[in-house]
Amino acid sequence: MTLDRRTLLKAAGAAGALNTVWPLSAGLSPAQAREAAEALGADYDPAPFTLGVASGDPQPGSVVLWTRLAPEPLAAEQRLPEVVAVAWVVAEDQALSRVVARGSAPASATLGHSVHVPVQGLAAGRTYWYAFSALGKTSRVGRTRTAPSGTVSRVRFAAANCQAFHDGYYAAHRGIAREDVDFVVHLGDYIYEHGPVGGDHVRDHEGPAVLTLADYRRRHALYKGDASLREAHAAHPWFLTWDDHEVANDYSGTGGGAPFLQRRAAAYQAWYENMPHRDGGESALPDPVLHRTRRWGNLLELTVLDLRSYRSAQNLADGTILGAEQKGWLKGTIDRAPDSWHVWANSIMLSQLRGRPGGSYMFTDQWDGFLAERKEILGHVHSSGLEDLVVVTGDWHSAFVDDLRVDFDDTSSPLVGTEFTAHSVTSGGYAADWNTANGPLMGRGNPHLKYFEGNRYGYDVYELTPERFTTRMRVIADRRDPLSPVTTLTSFHVDRGRTGSYEDPATKGSPAQWRRD
Amino acid sequence: MNLVVNGDAETGPGGTDAPVTAVTGWRVAQGAPALVAYTFGGGYPGTGDPGPDRRGSRFFSGGTSPRTALVQDIALPASGATGHAAIDAGRVRYAVEAWLGGYAAQEDGARLSVEFRDGKGTPVALSVLGPVTSGERGGRTGLVKRTAGALVPPGARTARLLLVLTRTGGGTSNDGYADGISLTLTGGSK
Repeated sequence: MTLDRRTLLKAAGAAGALNTVWPLSAGLSPAQAREAAEALGADYDPAPFTLGVASGDPQPGSVVLWTRLAPEPLAAEQRLPEVVAVAWVVAEDQALSRVVARGSAPASATLGHSVHVPVQGLAAGRTYWYAFSALGKTSRVGRTRTAPSGTVSRVRFAAANCQAFHDGYYAAHRGIAREDVDFVVHLGDYIYEHGPVGGDHVRDHEGPAVLTLADYRRRHALYKGDASLREAHAAHPWFLTWDDHEVANDYSGTGGGAPFLQRRAAAYQAWYENMPHRDGGESALPDPVLHRTRRWGNLLELTVLDLRSYRSAQNLADGTILGAEQKGWLKGTIDRAPDSWHVWANSIMLSQLRGRPGGSYMFTDQWDGFLAERKEILGHVHSSGLEDLVVVTGDWHSAFVDDLRVDFDDTSSPLVGTEFTAHSVTSGGYAADWNTANGPLMGRGNPHLKYFEGNRYGYDVYELTPERFTTRMRVIADRRDPLSPVTTLTSFHVDRGRTGSYEDPATKGSPAQWRRD
Repeated sequence: MNLVVNGDAETGPGGTDAPVTAVTGWRVAQGAPALVAYTFGGGYPGTGDPGPDRRGSRFFSGGTSPRTALVQDIALPASGATGHAAIDAGRVRYAVEAWLGGYAAQEDGARLSVEFRDGKGTPVALSVLGPVTSGERGGRTGLVKRTAGALVPPGARTARLLLVLTRTGGGTSNDGYADGISLTLTGGSK
């Protein structure tokens, strides 16, 4: 069976909907499904490294290298030996001639033929290149960077979130790949778990809602079928957290019975298999531990939070979004914080968000559903004297800038930091007329909300110096264009030693649906 | 040879549905399990309910915590037919087995996973058993057998067992049950 792009798109056009040719899996072999996916816009690196290469969790002297062997990326089981030896090499140059480390790691079918190599003994604060080889083939060359130690005068990083495959192409990741950044933070909703959406979309999911380990593996493989995502992974080391759609919409990690916990374990395992995540230590799969602190010299302490694994149900008087252990750990981190910028990678909005003045909270799946714990944490930030706190957030599919107060309903309450909620990579936001109508309502209903823009897609780039934290909102022109150019919509700053953000005067006239001032 | 210490819940304090703070061979990572006797009654699995043929006298339950987790780290044998050299030559397979269950139509559950790690602690293989749903138990109180196995990857040096017992909904009793946990290695030609 041969499927060509023209025939498929013609069929879709005749039926008026792309979903007439999906799900790809129906009646197709994995090879045919891949062929069909490629005909509809997905593509892959040469086998067996179809899903590309990645690096993550950079530390001074160490970084994790990742790849996964998947000759047929959409197949539930790969036609590979049960364990495949994967050689890896790290060098000081892109040609891989000045080798500084090499080795071999086993890729087991039980872990989806993935490998995670925590390379040690590297120099701090420098760029390296790496590649894998297996089964007589060599992967593309990836680039990574270790964290520096000591005095650091500048750090730049990008944050991405919410990349629904069906909602557009990953021009934002193409932009991230080309950014001069030290690392990337992904804030979650890396995949979506539901079935095809149909309608007027540029592409779609490959099959129904994912439930099993085989399903989640296939879904991750579909998402990595966007060349720009693989390019961004290969260009920079990533830190990772997750939100709900890596498993199921709005789920609580501690809720649900055995059927859901089967699904959750499958989703967590597939996530681990497909991410450059460093696990081990006190944790044990299939429950990877995501929360951690990392330092970028004396300039930045990055705190990665996991707001899904340990949360209770929403809207309980004693509810928790962190879980008791992570909450205690976070408070200890605050107590021991060095004199630097403190950035929290926070998947879902921390700031209070009422829909209108005096109105109810818009979404209690975010921290608004865990009021007592939020007040406890922000109160602890204040009482401990932590300064220079910036929270970077995803999930909302729109950009917000909020200044954080211990009590958001009391404008005399202490300011303790700023939250930047970034545009999504592709996942759809509200319609433009909703944003126009509701931006001012949200602005007036939330005195701490300084800015809202919901009509665009992209990512944030943050630049930190000893004096200033700058957020640049990068936006793409069109999600339907995989090569869509990137521009800077506006920039915000936070000065060291002063709480509160302010917009750069040069871009203050840019489009937005709410701006205080 | 079963490499798991006290995988049958027969050793150490217990015998009732009262949670215990220490379990022979295991580290209590979260919550507190109860090692309940099959003769205890009270709706717990009994000698006539589905479960291991040679079930001994007790089984693991989740106690009264919503989530109880037990961890056991196992050093793989250094020598012999299943020792490091054989592992590194790709000649050793593992088999993991556990009886996992719950109460009637409730969805409390038990999950056992085994993660193999290399000498630096990096995961290199994983098998997950359960949790068993009420449907898989036919809506009946008891335990059912789950097994998995694969090649031990070259370089593996330890295995970490994680037993998680979970409660769902209201009530106090965590009715995730487990018994008969084993991990065995077999050597052979590649």
